[in-house]
Amino acid sequence: MTSYARQVRAIIWKDLLLELRTRERLGAMGAFAVLAAILFNYSIDKTTTRPDDVAAGLIWMTIVFGGLLGVGRTFYLEAQDSALQGVLMSPTPKDAIFLAKTFANFTLLYVVSLLVLGVFTLFFGLDLGSNVWAIALVLGLGSLGFVALGTLFAAISTGTSMGETLLPILVFPLLVPMVIYGVGATGRLIAGRPFLEVDGNVRMLGAFALMAVAAGAVLFRFVVED
Amino acid sequence: METAGLRRGGTALTLLGLAGLVLVYWMSFFWVSTEMNQGIAQRIFYVHVPAAWTAFLAIGIAALTSGMYLWLRDDRLDRAAMCAAEGGLVFGTIMITTGPLWGKIAWGTYWTWEPRLTLTLLLWFIFLGYFMVRNSTEDPEKGKRFAAVVAIVGALDIPFIHVSVLWFRSLHPEPVVANVDGPALPGDMLTTLLTSVAVFTVLFLGLYLLRYSLESLRAEVDTRARRAVA
Amino acid sequence: MSVLATPVLGAEEVAAEEAAAEETVLEARGLVREYGPVVAVDEIDLGLSAGEFLTVFGPNGAGKSSLLGMLGGAMRPTRGEVLIRGEELSYADVEWRSHVGMVSHRGFLYARLTVEENLRFYGRLFGVERLDERIAERLKRVGLQNRANFQVRHLSHGMRQRVSLARALLHDPAVVLLDEPYTGLDPSAASVLRGVLAELRDGRRTVVMVTHNLKEGLELATRVAIQVAGRFAWEGVRGEVDHDNFERHYHRVVEGRA
Repeated sequence: MTSYARQVRAIIWKDLLLELRTRERLGAMGAFAVLAAILFNYSIDKTTTRPDDVAAGLIWMTIVFGGLLGVGRTFYLEAQDSALQGVLMSPTPKDAIFLAKTFANFTLLYVVSLLVLGVFTLFFGLDLGSNVWAIALVLGLGSLGFVALGTLFAAISTGTSMGETLLPILVFPLLVPMVIYGVGATGRLIAGRPFLEVDGNVRMLGAFALMAVAAGAVLFRFVVED
Repeated sequence: METAGLRRGGTALTLLGLAGLVLVYWMSFFWVSTEMNQGIAQRIFYVHVPAAWTAFLAIGIAALTSGMYLWLRDDRLDRAAMCAAEGGLVFGTIMITTGPLWGKIAWGTYWTWEPRLTLTLLLWFIFLGYFMVRNSTEDPEKGKRFAAVVAIVGALDIPFIHVSVLWFRSLHPEPVVANVDGPALPGDMLTTLLTSVAVFTVLFLGLYLLRYSLESLRAEVDTRARRAVA
Repeated sequence: MSVLATPVLGAEEVAAEEAAAEETVLEARGLVREYGPVVAVDEIDLGLSAGEFLTVFGPNGAGKSSLLGMLGGAMRPTRGEVLIRGEELSYADVEWRSHVGMVSHRGFLYARLTVEENLRFYGRLFGVERLDERIAERLKRVGLQNRANFQVRHLSHGMRQRVSLARALLHDPAVVLLDEPYTGLDPSAASVLRGVLAELRDGRRTVVMVTHNLKEGLELATRVAIQVAGRFAWEGVRGEVDHDNFERHYHRVVEGRA
């Protein structure tokens, strides 16, 4: 195993172990998702709107807001006792740190995304049918792009005096493409349309995720240097 | 030395731009023919579109100089990025205030999810984030780095925002108004638009150079003051 | 690294070591660090060879931690450069970081991981060989072999500092940097620290310690510097230091009367 792979694995292991032990972020994001779904349920007048029509948008909004809750905390855990400083002083390339943290965050957010999908399916009585895998793919690509930008900008906002309040202001404008393509694809898949109709969206989500991961890997070193 | 030359260049360009602006206003008020469907309000177009173009020019310059700043760590590059972003914020503000004015009269609504309008609004928020990040760190050097990252990621994201809002628009047909895709425009309107774009570019660059030299002078005053103390 | 870990040296190694001792291990040239208008470190030059132990004293805000941060690659110099064995350290490079260990009053530990997990994590980042043995050995040295499976948050401050010490020296660094290591230590932790620091004077390492504790600082130092307002206002070697009157000397330097 190269040292790069070993270091990436060590950080992923550490992040997931910490999460398993505290369940801080998964718990917060999961509870947020379920509660948001309940509120959203009452925000729809079912005599005028069919839940199926708006479910995709609500699913994505829940993921974005809930995800921000979890991703925003990434570096607070690290900041205690300056642990991140210790990692930065180790011979670990900064892009390895970024990729590892993005992967760990992605794992968490993807679990939450699937939970959100399940909760909305249950609460809104959606019938996903055979499109469930395609929707899972769309949510996965969306989560990846989101987490990459979120991790990069969480590192920035943690370093400012405004802290977490700054994070949505920085990432929301950038997330517009992800929301547009993600909601578009999810909505059509929920409506039972074939995957072929959304493969353009899926490709754009993939390209967006790729851009976000690459930009983060290159730029992260400038964010964490002291 | 260096700033004096920049200041002269900036002043010359700004004066040229202001003179050009008089020409643009004359053209758009008296010379160009009135658009058939939207009437007189369409003339806002000749300020609106060039302002938007300038804002995009600004994010381009800001991202480029930010990238070079992260690489070379020369404060002059950071100043160049910051001044471009400031220009972008100003011209972006012109764009998002003229847009609704035009929209209200032409389409009867202040806001429409016209892709270019949406894109510029988001760009405006990216510039806003740039300055919020910059001003909320204790160590100014850190703020410069953070802001540079915001500008670069913002510029990278803009193509994605652009195609996505276009795609979104294609799903929600709205009254098609001005087809601004160049050649479809009647001759005199195109001439006016291109003149205005050129004038706005010159004006932006002039103001940009002036702003940059002001910032350089400020930095020099800081350094001298510090030396005097030490 | 494993060579350095060997406690007993053969004749060849001793010879190699004597040759190494001539060489400057840790060097700083014109080091400057600014925070906006504040100059924390102002043109500091430094050259230390293996076996040297430099203690930097100075009042709060003299820029001692910034100096140490730059030497350890935790902080990017505004100007100037740091060299390890004549090689200029690029802040972006990572390889040389495995030769540097930093002990700070901040522990760099994850409170929710156990002692052993913390060490394992850092050991993997540093690519420490035979990690299990090394962890066991280091924990024994700081007297925490019975606490390996305790989460760090359940330990006292003194114990955490000992874990932190084990963490910093896990990869057997040639350059050891100590940032106020005695801050808040109970007597037993301080005694462990003193013992470990004494072991660092094995002739193969270069140590820089930053502190305002005059007594602890002088004990092991081969060279002493007093940093005031970002500069070394006074420098001396061990023989030149008058231990009994050092405190008076220190205050005179800090107040600018020396």
